[in-house]
Amino acid sequence: MSTERFAREAGKYAAIAWLGARRALSERAAVAGRALFLAVILFIFGRVWATVLGPGGRVGAAGRDELIFYLAVTEWCLLSVPPLYLSIEGDVRSGDVASQMVRPVSYVGAQLADALGETALRMCVLGPTAALVAWWIAGGWPADPRGLWLALPLGLLASTLAVLSTAAIGVSAFWIVDTSPIYWIWQKLAFVLGGLMLPLELYPDWLRAAARFSPFPAMLWGPGRMAFGFAPGAALETLAELVVWGTLAALLLVWLARRARTRIALAGG
Amino acid sequence: MAAPIRGTLHFLRGLALMNLRSSLALRGAFWLQAGFMVLNNLAFFATWWLLFERFPQIGGWRIGDLLTLFGVVATGFGGSMVLAGGWRELARGIRDGELDSCLVQPKPVLLHLVGSRTVASGWGDLATGLGMLLVSGALEPAKLPATGVAVLASASVFTANGILVQSLAFWIDGMDALARQISEFTLTFSLYPRPLFSGGISFLLYTVLPAGFVGFVPAELVRAPSLALGAAALGAALFWIGLALFVFQRGLARYASGNRIGVRV
Repeated sequence: MSTERFAREAGKYAAIAWLGARRALSERAAVAGRALFLAVILFIFGRVWATVLGPGGRVGAAGRDELIFYLAVTEWCLLSVPPLYLSIEGDVRSGDVASQMVRPVSYVGAQLADALGETALRMCVLGPTAALVAWWIAGGWPADPRGLWLALPLGLLASTLAVLSTAAIGVSAFWIVDTSPIYWIWQKLAFVLGGLMLPLELYPDWLRAAARFSPFPAMLWGPGRMAFGFAPGAALETLAELVVWGTLAALLLVWLARRARTRIALAGG
Repeated sequence: MAAPIRGTLHFLRGLALMNLRSSLALRGAFWLQAGFMVLNNLAFFATWWLLFERFPQIGGWRIGDLLTLFGVVATGFGGSMVLAGGWRELARGIRDGELDSCLVQPKPVLLHLVGSRTVASGWGDLATGLGMLLVSGALEPAKLPATGVAVLASASVFTANGILVQSLAFWIDGMDALARQISEFTLTFSLYPRPLFSGGISFLLYTVLPAGFVGFVPAELVRAPSLALGAAALGAALFWIGLALFVFQRGLARYASGNRIGVRV
């Protein structure tokens, strides 16, 4: 593919992503609802950690403030992801997918670009919200706030991995139509194995070891633990894991999308 | 007087049976939704189990106490979803003028609206809640009356508060999203140990978001049954039901038809 053609193709998806971000911006109530939910969860867990740890209490390297910021980062990564699987499932159910497939862009690629645009917008809104609420509840920044800068690129990659995963779940609608049960399993595994609310340091050894075989710790615990201090080595480790899991998720999505296209052709569109 | 009450009870029984049939009509979807709700609840509880493994007490609460709290709230919430799932659509119905078909029928309007819908996943909540109550010992014969009152009170306050905030749609446009959010926050707060909240937030949790009467007070009634706690739980339930009925009836007087042609079975 020539550079000019590549730029033209990329431009199409960038335009779709831009539209996705603009649409998300117009859905203010949905974004505000998520921001409010994030604030409520941070408040509740602020109380949990204050009660459990008491003044000056710590869990390994983390005190109450670090644990609040940990939750702020993990929730930021997860709450920024739109329910892409529902959008794809809706197109499959209604049959709209057939008409969208004749456009000069890949159907799954366009859905992905749209969701990534929406994710970017949500991250821009929820990121500062999470940081400010966490700062207010904790009464300041973590002991070494430099790690939070490392959480930014990791969070972006983590949300991208989550979007790729939800896209793959959505494409499974070509076979099973109702994808919600698969999404629920994925979401619950992310909650528990990813360490959404509690860092993996608090888990029993056997569960922590089992979780490390899944992509979820890279998606949530990896960026979240940056709140515990400036750890470039740990950040690089998480980065490598995110790249590996992201590549695998992208390959799975491409494979599923190709199979889905064949299925549409077989079924007559 | 007895005849209308008997008629209403007969109507309620009919609605409950219809809800059950409607849930079971799509058998596969029903089991899937209920089953995944059980998994969903267990995954949420797993977080607490992990925390209690590390810290045996949170403000004096142990894992057993939280199991009781979860059991009471999940059973009450599940009951609300199964028997009265229509309250979640009340604000949308008011906004879209969908109350007309209920107004022309010789049955209590609110009862009809609330009881004519069911949420299949509520069976999963019901199953999880009863399972947790069983494990926590709340279903032992000595505790059964207190547990029954606690679940009834929890379900009543949650449902009545839902009706109350949804009914504000008679006055405020675009209330459905906010009403749902208020109910979700009430549920969220009701699932956390009571000692976590104090001061102003505690006041909020017994008024605007009545999580205290959905979770804390009923769970306390099961943990340490007493007449005072039973009276508090039932009194709160009656107060919220009365308030919800008052607000709904006042709102209904303002209701303007949607002039929509539709059929309700």
